[in-house]
Amino acid sequence: MGGFTLCGRMLCWLLWGSPLALIGPLNLSVLAAEASQTKPPSFLFLPEKALDGLGYFSSLSLAAKFPEDLEITEDCLKLLLVFGQRYVDLVSCLVSSARPVEVCQNCYGAYSSFNETYSNITSDTMGPKNDSCQESLMHSDRLMLLYRLYSSLQTIWGSAECTSCLTKDHKGLLNSTLNFISSQNSTLSCFEKYKGNHSELCTECKVTYKRLNELYSNLEKNGSLCIDIEDAMNVTRRLWSKNFDCTVKREELVPVIAVSSFMLFLPVIFYLSNFLHSEQKKRKLIHPKRAKSNHSLMNIQDKFS
Amino acid sequence: MTVSHGGQTGRCASTALSADVVRRLDVLKVQSSPVSAMANITKKVSWSGRGEEGTPLLNGSEEVKYTRQLSGGGMFHIGRLSTVDLDEDITPEEDAVRSKPKEIPHNEKLLSLKYESLDYDNIENHLFLEEERRMGHMSFRCLEISRWVICGLIGVLTGLIACFIDIVVEKLAGVKYVVVKKSIDKNTEIGGMCISLILWAALNSAFVMVGAIIVAFFEPIAAGSGIPQIKCYLNGVKVPRVVRLKTLMVKVCGVICSVAGGLAVGKEGPMIHSGAVVAAGVSQGRSTSLKKDFKIFEYFRRDTEKRDFVSAGAAAGVSAAFGAPVGGVLFSLEEGASFWNQLLTWRIFFASMISTFTLNFVLSIYHKKTGELSSPGLINFGSFDLKSVKYNIYEIPLFIVMGAIGGLLGALFNVLNYWLTIFRIRYVHRPCLQVMEAMLVAAVTATVSFAMIYFSNDCQPLETQKSSEDYSLQGFCADGEYSAMATAFFNTPERSVRSLFHSPAGTYKLETLGCFTLVYFFLACWTYGLTVSAGVFIPSLLIGAAWGRLFGIMLPYIALNPSVFTDPGKYALMGAAAQLGGIVRMTLSLTVILVEATGNVTYGLPIMLVLMTAKIVGDYFIEGLYDVHIKLQSVPFLHWDAPATSHSLTAREVMSSPVTCFNRVEKVGTIVDVLSNTSTNHNGFPVIIQTAASEEPGKLCGLILRSQLIVLLKHKVFVERARSRLRQRKLQLKDFRDAYPRFPPIQSIHVSQDERECMMDLTEFMNPTPYTVPQDTSLPRVFKLFRALGLRHLVVVDDDNRVIGLVTRKDLARYHLGKHGLEELHLAHT
Repeated sequence: MGGFTLCGRMLCWLLWGSPLALIGPLNLSVLAAEASQTKPPSFLFLPEKALDGLGYFSSLSLAAKFPEDLEITEDCLKLLLVFGQRYVDLVSCLVSSARPVEVCQNCYGAYSSFNETYSNITSDTMGPKNDSCQESLMHSDRLMLLYRLYSSLQTIWGSAECTSCLTKDHKGLLNSTLNFISSQNSTLSCFEKYKGNHSELCTECKVTYKRLNELYSNLEKNGSLCIDIEDAMNVTRRLWSKNFDCTVKREELVPVIAVSSFMLFLPVIFYLSNFLHSEQKKRKLIHPKRAKSNHSLMNIQDKFS
Repeated sequence: MTVSHGGQTGRCASTALSADVVRRLDVLKVQSSPVSAMANITKKVSWSGRGEEGTPLLNGSEEVKYTRQLSGGGMFHIGRLSTVDLDEDITPEEDAVRSKPKEIPHNEKLLSLKYESLDYDNIENHLFLEEERRMGHMSFRCLEISRWVICGLIGVLTGLIACFIDIVVEKLAGVKYVVVKKSIDKNTEIGGMCISLILWAALNSAFVMVGAIIVAFFEPIAAGSGIPQIKCYLNGVKVPRVVRLKTLMVKVCGVICSVAGGLAVGKEGPMIHSGAVVAAGVSQGRSTSLKKDFKIFEYFRRDTEKRDFVSAGAAAGVSAAFGAPVGGVLFSLEEGASFWNQLLTWRIFFASMISTFTLNFVLSIYHKKTGELSSPGLINFGSFDLKSVKYNIYEIPLFIVMGAIGGLLGALFNVLNYWLTIFRIRYVHRPCLQVMEAMLVAAVTATVSFAMIYFSNDCQPLETQKSSEDYSLQGFCADGEYSAMATAFFNTPERSVRSLFHSPAGTYKLETLGCFTLVYFFLACWTYGLTVSAGVFIPSLLIGAAWGRLFGIMLPYIALNPSVFTDPGKYALMGAAAQLGGIVRMTLSLTVILVEATGNVTYGLPIMLVLMTAKIVGDYFIEGLYDVHIKLQSVPFLHWDAPATSHSLTAREVMSSPVTCFNRVEKVGTIVDVLSNTSTNHNGFPVIIQTAASEEPGKLCGLILRSQLIVLLKHKVFVERARSRLRQRKLQLKDFRDAYPRFPPIQSIHVSQDERECMMDLTEFMNPTPYTVPQDTSLPRVFKLFRALGLRHLVVVDDDNRVIGLVTRKDLARYHLGKHGLEELHLAHT
């Protein structure tokens, strides 16, 4: 029994391995395709070459030798292929806009089509041969590669909080985001202009910088901040505060110290005047009478000494 | 020792303290009594009015002893009591000496006459036994059920009060911080920081002024955390006005004002007091202040039941404050275990659980996550995640060192606060001065915080997610950064504690934490004892967390292998535990409270070790803060044990003697005279039987309380009227209960000249079986009896069951172990 399951598992591994091995060679082609077309490829539009490749690899794989055991149908294999392609699209987009962070602005299209593919796989529609790709692609092994790949990207996307910068249908950036980006650009160009003289920069660019800050805090209040905006703001702020040294200086040392020490001096006066003028509270002692009049503290102490 | 129940029907000899002697003596005493006391007598006090505070009679101790000086150094022999002629005893000079009572400045070695004992021991007189016999099995079962219902109600109401405080404080503090933050942000840029400073100080002072005024002018007992008072109450001391509705109101409003006013205080201690008041109110089924009687729970209208419920209320308060139900039960056990009932424990636990649950539930609705029960207490330490929870065996010695530091700092705190409190009692005793002081402290707190933020250079990068809920200040930091000092100072203390526990390593710089600890230590020390309602738990935790974190940050610099000590949050927690333990010196309950508040049993051992060390080290120097304050309030507090070296004292030396007794059938005039005597405001009177012509003191046959006598006088239960009374209904236990707990003063009861000649039969109403001890019983034995049974009076008798003395709480509490062996406290009017 054990032997059989082991064999089965190995078979599965091999079966899975082959389509995934496709991703390697596909990579190049997809990159090339991306270079030529700005719009990411939709689900129906598949490069012919890729499909050819699929046929080639599947004929080579072990699975072909056991047609009855073939868990994975042609359709599912196709889906898998598309998934791989979209994954590569998205990852390459993310990597290329890592620094300065422009992930949300650049990759929302790639992300939504990647998402679409995944939901195609996971949706429970039955194929023509009455089998679901979800079953065969997602739940057949313990590695659950598709799920892991998907969830890792999902985590990245989630922590970037790109959704708060995008329209509801994820088809474009919000107006506020665009507004912010243009404002930031104008600030940066101002910085560029007065780069030579820092003190001049601090006064000249203050207005635009303040406006940018205001925009930012408004966005923050609305909860429509994504990593792009945060990073852009951070960079601008660092330039402003650190590079150009435009932060406010402590200039009111004397008045602050004066007011503080006055405040600190008040309690001293208060307590002193109380000590000198307030009458001290006295307690009236009561002499309790005990059975023995010689009983006193002295008495107790005598006993112990 | 044989605790014989009195009530032998032996014939008593006539007592030396026959009625007219007593009266003669009284005349003398009245003449020599201070003028203020005389003024008080004339004050008319109504039946339902502020009974206790208005009357020196009920106010005073149960046993003010006859202050007879014996001439010529003659020994006073108990056996020859009758031979002493009182008139000759008191020489004119001595009388003159006594007429000017000795006055001393207030100190901690006094016992106030203001405090009485609770009548925890049931008075098993005929009426009581009759009623108990009438009650069937069913009624006892109903009583038990109603006890559970009351405990549930206590839990719910305490939880609701906690919610109310929490939400209002959050709102008020939120408004204040937003206003100040706006001003600071604006003025940082355009200049005029002084305006922000003054604005902040003024806002703080305004809040605190409101809080201080209501406390100082309306209910001074609501000042402070209330834990010392509740501790006293659970110990068996009736602290005047401590469990009244008015106190609760003032306490709740006061704590809101003082926390919102930015003082270095917390709202946790007052929660315990609030819980206790709720319990005392709910269990009585009526409010004397509102004059509303719901006619329910009448059976519970006595000190025994009330005290039990108050312990449940205190537990519910702790549980609401810290989200620590078990800690609450243990708090009640630790502080009130003098007379503890195992059956009670389960009920108290129930009340605690209900209180946490209520708080949870209501807060979940408030935070719009209905049904999510994950924020159990007012203070939430936040969960310590698995990574930082880990501690290693080599860290245990470090924790113990931290415990020792906590003990030292705690002792320093207590010593400073002790001197400050003495100064306050002596010199800052007028309400308007107290309000001014509180306002000054608030203003200085704001100023110091401001200065610290102004001059701090510790800037940390801002996290977007956090900034909206914390009131982070930028100050003079670069844009996109915030001042770390401001997170510590410009926040409610609870938030600061959480930030110190959970902020990742590197959030605070060394010098920030150092300055913060130093400043906050003195601020907190200065603040505690002001006339505002405020607790010391959170400030202690905050001080401890700050230096604990400092300790944690410094470790990698010292250690050989710096990578082991990466998480300063853990040390912040231990520091907080050490500091709190060093200040309040609670043991078991505090350990459990902290473990529950962190939600982590793993830390049980280190927290226990830390608290133990802190207590041992701290006790070497001074007692816990609560005990210091109990002492300074001159409360006759009975500790867990009698002083260690008191075995040589016997009941004969401890007791008060001679005793004012009544005959079984006593003349009304005598009773009225004894009760009206301001200098001898006794509360319990042994009832004796006299043999016709004998000269010896009478034999004990019962004990009757002042409150009972007053009810009897009010209802005119005289022998001569027995016939007419038959037509009316008989006096029942209910009549005594209705008068509870504010028995009218004797002055409010009118007794005509004719009635003075009537006789009163006390047989039916006295407790025929009072506890008695022989005169050679040692002090520790008497002490144990008192503590275990919750007694109020213990009659000392000789071999023939003749009354020779009476031991009360104050007789026992006056012995304490000082620096030079056993010391005796003085009784004083306060």
